Amino acid sequence: MQQPATDSGRPGPTGEKPAPDPRPPAAPTGSTGFARFTDRARLRSLVPLAAPPVVALVLWAVAVSLTDVSELSDYGLLAELPAVFWAGLAVLTAGFWFCVRDPARGNRWPLAYTLVLLVMERATQAAVYPTPLYAWAWKHDAVIEHLLTAGRLQRGEELGDMAVYDQWPGFFAAQAALVRLTGAENALAFMAWWPLISSLLLLAPLLLIYRTFTQDRRLIWTAVWLFYVANWVGQDYFSPQSLAFALYLGVVAVALRRAERPAPGRRSRQLVWFALLVPLIAAIVIAHQLTPVMLAVGLAALALMRRYRDWTLLLALIVVFLAWNLTASLPFLREAVPDMISSFGKVADNLETGYGATPTGTGALVVSWTARLLSAGVVLLAAVGVLRGGKLLRHRARPLLLLAGVPLLMAVANDYGSEMIFRVLMFMLPALCFFAAAALLPPARPLAAEPDGSGAPRPATGVWYAVAPPVVLLTLTALFVPSYAGKDRLSYFPPEEVSLVRGVFEQAPKGSLVVAAHRNYPLAYASYWDVGHYWFLDDAKEHVDKILKDPAGTLARDMSGVTAPARGYLLLTRGQIANSEMNGMLTGEELRRIERSVASSPLFEEVGRNSAGAVFRLKSPTAEAPGKETP
Amino acid sequence: MTLALRALPALAGWLALAATALPAGSAIRVAPVALFLLLGPGAALLAFCGPALGGHRALGPAESWDEGFERDSDRIERLVLAVGLSLSAAVVCATALIAAQAFSGPRVLIALTLLTTAAACAPRPRKG
Repeated sequence: MQQPATDSGRPGPTGEKPAPDPRPPAAPTGSTGFARFTDRARLRSLVPLAAPPVVALVLWAVAVSLTDVSELSDYGLLAELPAVFWAGLAVLTAGFWFCVRDPARGNRWPLAYTLVLLVMERATQAAVYPTPLYAWAWKHDAVIEHLLTAGRLQRGEELGDMAVYDQWPGFFAAQAALVRLTGAENALAFMAWWPLISSLLLLAPLLLIYRTFTQDRRLIWTAVWLFYVANWVGQDYFSPQSLAFALYLGVVAVALRRAERPAPGRRSRQLVWFALLVPLIAAIVIAHQLTPVMLAVGLAALALMRRYRDWTLLLALIVVFLAWNLTASLPFLREAVPDMISSFGKVADNLETGYGATPTGTGALVVSWTARLLSAGVVLLAAVGVLRGGKLLRHRARPLLLLAGVPLLMAVANDYGSEMIFRVLMFMLPALCFFAAAALLPPARPLAAEPDGSGAPRPATGVWYAVAPPVVLLTLTALFVPSYAGKDRLSYFPPEEVSLVRGVFEQAPKGSLVVAAHRNYPLAYASYWDVGHYWFLDDAKEHVDKILKDPAGTLARDMSGVTAPARGYLLLTRGQIANSEMNGMLTGEELRRIERSVASSPLFEEVGRNSAGAVFRLKSPTAEAPGKETP
Repeated sequence: MTLALRALPALAGWLALAATALPAGSAIRVAPVALFLLLGPGAALLAFCGPALGGHRALGPAESWDEGFERDSDRIERLVLAVGLSLSAAVVCATALIAAQAFSGPRVLIALTLLTTAAACAPRPRKG
């Protein structure tokens, strides 16, 4: 079928007013709300719209108060959430579909539903756990502490493996300012709420992106819902990536609307829009390593399209990128580039998840497979959407097709410390979800199919649309929970664990060494500029075997470089054991054997113990027991 | 746009600065600071660019049945830019101050407030 010229993505026929609409008047979209409440019939129609989110919030609040997180299993939060939580989620999702499938529905109700979804998804952990999750988030708080203490950016020689954060300090510097300005003691005060905040930051850019390709609000809001449900990857936590991704989406959203191939004479007006995007680009470059590259790849793909053939924005990005990476972050890059070159092209290696990240144990396996199922489900749905939409959808939304595929190129280029597959998925997700949503709705018709040529959406009525989409949405929404919160046994650190570790840093003199099995414990990086750390599970297998054979002796030797008044500490906590067990490193029994051996050894003295773990200190050399092995 | 509206983001900045004198961690201190950091500089910059931005239609969907769709999209775009620009300004300012070894929380806020005030007071570039 020939597509008319107006289907080019440009604004529709200019100047022409459409013929009088023979359809019944649509429900008011922007009219005042209060006038409606006086009408009883209106009130009655309001109840089926308002009830699901209200009921869901109430059920959520009840669920949060009932959840007990003191004994997390390998299924994490999944096993602890009461049935009330799932009931609330089901009510919300089903209600969402029946709200959104009316093409005349305004934006306010779907927005309300989406906000409640975000609360249930991203605020549950903040409400349920007394301490912030994720060892990496605690690490980022340590970086902020370092910036506030040092007051300047430092080089690799001074900081070792943590130097990378001083080379891309944007996020940390801004958070340091926020900590000081709000008077909080540190970022721990608000870190737990960051997933909700960073997810909210994505909403407006997502809406803007989808609104560039369709006026059908059903498609727009379903795509938003699918995005939030499929974004289980958990890069929303307190991290530079969370901020960089939000800014990336903002740049892409504006570029899709404004980076049109300039007609003669329009160049100067467009430059204003590009000038406004430069600060966002600068912030992305200063805050994160990977996102500028993803952005460059995306903008390059767009610039290859006839519609968008304008290289100005991409050039600006490259200039800013080079300006930063050839100056401030050069020391880091000088070391990292040879590794980057060697990993280029090794797709299989790049997509392999990191050492010791083999899910072990039924719970961990189930959780890891639900996440894969969720991702595969969304990709499959997107494929269905592209097929159902046919040439028309592919033509109208070609930029999104490109943006969906282009991140896969990064899998060819680099493994990003074994994180690449998750990042690739995250960057593909906004575009993928547009097509996934299209699979659940009637395919769009060409403008010429209607008398007034305005492209009004086909109603989603009938048994199929009453049953299939809600089932799909319910399934995917339900799969989100284990994917996102199934590993909480290793992500959560009870207050006892925090106080145990804090006790170490309160007594450890400057220059001390803290030895642990794995970095998965709170405050692992506390005072990293003063106190060293060594995690023996990171070491070569032969060395770990030596530790297993003679724990006290080997570890004492590992700590022997520490000179007085600094001391060496061995810290073993439940978080480390959980991480080791669930990721196929040493078993809990092996780690506890190491602990028992050290506890009974004359080389070490116990300086701390509670329900979360134990701390041992290497006795000073003058107190050495006879019979110590010579190195 | 009236002078009062243009001055609003700058006022919010000075208010946030004043709020930092209040007790640490209290809601009455956190709210103005967070709100300004999230929206202030961006809103002022957008208001400054105002006439230069208008009148140039964005790329949009092929359909045209929804009146007011374009206007709503433009509004969402302004929100995206207001937030994006504000967060970016905070990131760039804070990083610059740390790199210059002159960092402190209040200094970042002062720098942002001065930037916002300048954007509010400066004569606007003409349309096109």
